[in-house]
Amino acid sequence: MKSFRFVLNLTVATLIGGLVAVGHAEDGVTKDEIKIGSFGPLAGPVYMYGKLAMNGLEALFDKVNQEGGIHGRKLKLVREDDACKPEGGIAAVKKLIYDDKVFAINGGGCSNSTLAARPEIVKAGIPFVVNSAVADGISSPPTPNIFTTQLTATIESRAQLKYALEQKAKKVALVAQHDAWGRSRYEPMMTALKEQSIKPVSDEEMTIDQNDGTAQALKLMQTGADAVLLIVYPKPAAVLIRDSLKLGYKPLWIGQTAIQDLPQLQEQVGIPGALEKFVSIATIPAHPDDPEMAEWRERIKKLFPNDALSVFNLMGIGSGMVVVEALKRAGADLTREKFLKAMGSIKNFKTGMYPGPITCKPPASNQCNQSVGWIKFGDGKPKSAGVTTLD
Amino acid sequence: MRAVVSHRALLVVLFAVLAVLPVVANQYTLFVGNLLMLYMILALGLNLLVGFAGQLAFANAAMYGIGAYGAALLQVRLGLSYWLAAPCGAVLAMAIGTLLAFPALRLSGIYLALATLAFAQFTQWVLLHWNSVTFGAGGFPVPQPEFSALGMSPDRGIYYVSWVVTVVLLAFAWRVVRSRVGRAFVAMRDREMAAQALGVGLLRYKAMAFALSGFYAGTAGALYPAVLAYVSPEGFDLFQMVLHKAMIVVGGMGSIAGSVIGASLLVYLLEVLRQFKATQEIVFGALLLAFVLFQPRGLVDFLKRSVPGWSEPLHYASDSESAFDVAVADELVTGSRGGADR
Repeated sequence: MKSFRFVLNLTVATLIGGLVAVGHAEDGVTKDEIKIGSFGPLAGPVYMYGKLAMNGLEALFDKVNQEGGIHGRKLKLVREDDACKPEGGIAAVKKLIYDDKVFAINGGGCSNSTLAARPEIVKAGIPFVVNSAVADGISSPPTPNIFTTQLTATIESRAQLKYALEQKAKKVALVAQHDAWGRSRYEPMMTALKEQSIKPVSDEEMTIDQNDGTAQALKLMQTGADAVLLIVYPKPAAVLIRDSLKLGYKPLWIGQTAIQDLPQLQEQVGIPGALEKFVSIATIPAHPDDPEMAEWRERIKKLFPNDALSVFNLMGIGSGMVVVEALKRAGADLTREKFLKAMGSIKNFKTGMYPGPITCKPPASNQCNQSVGWIKFGDGKPKSAGVTTLD
Repeated sequence: MRAVVSHRALLVVLFAVLAVLPVVANQYTLFVGNLLMLYMILALGLNLLVGFAGQLAFANAAMYGIGAYGAALLQVRLGLSYWLAAPCGAVLAMAIGTLLAFPALRLSGIYLALATLAFAQFTQWVLLHWNSVTFGAGGFPVPQPEFSALGMSPDRGIYYVSWVVTVVLLAFAWRVVRSRVGRAFVAMRDREMAAQALGVGLLRYKAMAFALSGFYAGTAGALYPAVLAYVSPEGFDLFQMVLHKAMIVVGGMGSIAGSVIGASLLVYLLEVLRQFKATQEIVFGALLLAFVLFQPRGLVDFLKRSVPGWSEPLHYASDSESAFDVAVADELVTGSRGGADR
């Protein structure tokens, strides 16, 4: 009888234990591991927003794991390629959620593929922290499980215009790429100009592979624009600045986060002092060569011997730091609900990467980064040129 | 006793597996299965035009986009139901595809390829820049059709719709190539002058080939917004065109089964290579090169030679009379220049 009672008790205990375990089981969480997924382009012309950001994230996870993990659990990164295409984004996210069964996602390299994947992420309720994509529609309207540590296209456009006005620009001109990337910024910029009742004195177009910008430079010169807002990639920016300088035209050039590598831009322009009147927005104002980045330079070198630390690695690291902080705050009994609550509790969190502290304000806004850092080029290297904070 | 695997048996098994997939698969596999069927439709339509009718056209991705944008915009802009908007999208692509037959009457080979490529680029430009209608580069979300009356989720419901549409279009393509129309396509492809001498009206059959191909691409496009719930221009770019062409090259030009096999293999490969990170483009390019160099008639040719019972008649020009050789020969005979012929 005693043995029967023992077996019965054991069975009941096992069942209850099993039910409790099932009740707490979250995809991607075991007693010694947390799986975090990431998606973005791993190859192609914009691989840096995917592959390099993920490399940074992996370097961060490696550091966290060496220090003992989070509440005893090691972090494991699962990468998926979205090829920067909508169907690639949906496939990558579905694979992360239903096949790889990750706990949360920290990624999103391209705007349109991330936008396409948003409905699936919302439906699944999986925590998603955006690290690279800038389209406003990814994090707005706010939804409880999507946060972003990246600046959005609207924030950048408003900041570019605000900077021009702070510098007392009288005639503002615009030069933009009208491809998918450019249009996602051009439209918010036009809205921002309209809100300020400003009509640009010139609205020029350049293409990503343009080799001559004389026509655009002459037009800008003719209109007398004293500030030019640049919504172009580094190559057309370099071409335009070079051809403007040849004509003796030197307005205030105001770039955005696509033009963050100022030493490379200077090299592409090829004229000494070409960037004297150039400022750009930097997601990460710190330069990979800065002394305080020494640790990350070493970690990237160790994990990816062929790579040197880049600003895109730092973007992945900065966003990952916010995820790691939320995982710590969520406690040992980790659930997605607790993680999302912890994300919402993050206020004035300093990563040392972004220009300002990270503050999430759910349910009103999950846009956790509102600080725009400015960089300029001087003495052969990038320098901070202040911070603009938008609300 | 010899093992016998007919092409029909393979297709029956493949579609039987696809039919039960929603019961056993997770949502990721279901999504990939759905994409696979869209690509099968695209490859079937392109093979009718390129493989059977011999028209070297590069507008398939544009037709795909026109079908997708047509179906999606009619829902979002005009509030039509998906069930009305989807056929309209397919018919719109078919109508525009038919118009492409007119330049095809005067152009052939590389010149037709360039003209249709220009059309595809123009379509991309319109999708990107006609903001007031297409929502521009950012794309737009599209509501998925509801299947709650059938007790199914939208993903599962649209999967079964895709399955039915694919089976119907596969059977239809099969009928077409075995009919008088199919024989006229092959005759036209092998030698236009001889086909004309046999009473094949070039305008009629070229228009029919472009219309059919446009309808297939438009139908796949009309399913696209229901599967993805989102439409943007990147989905219909040059890479798509290369992908569709690769499917029929790998599967087999002038083969219905080849279209299905090529689409299945490439979609499977693209998904499997997702695991190997950033190797997709290398493997994809190498595969295409290998088939062009070593197996130009595609996998079906290999299957026909090595699998007993594989009985699909293959409609390809003989080695000595490739389409390009024939086009050059015709031009020499007629004395025409610059691709304007006949």
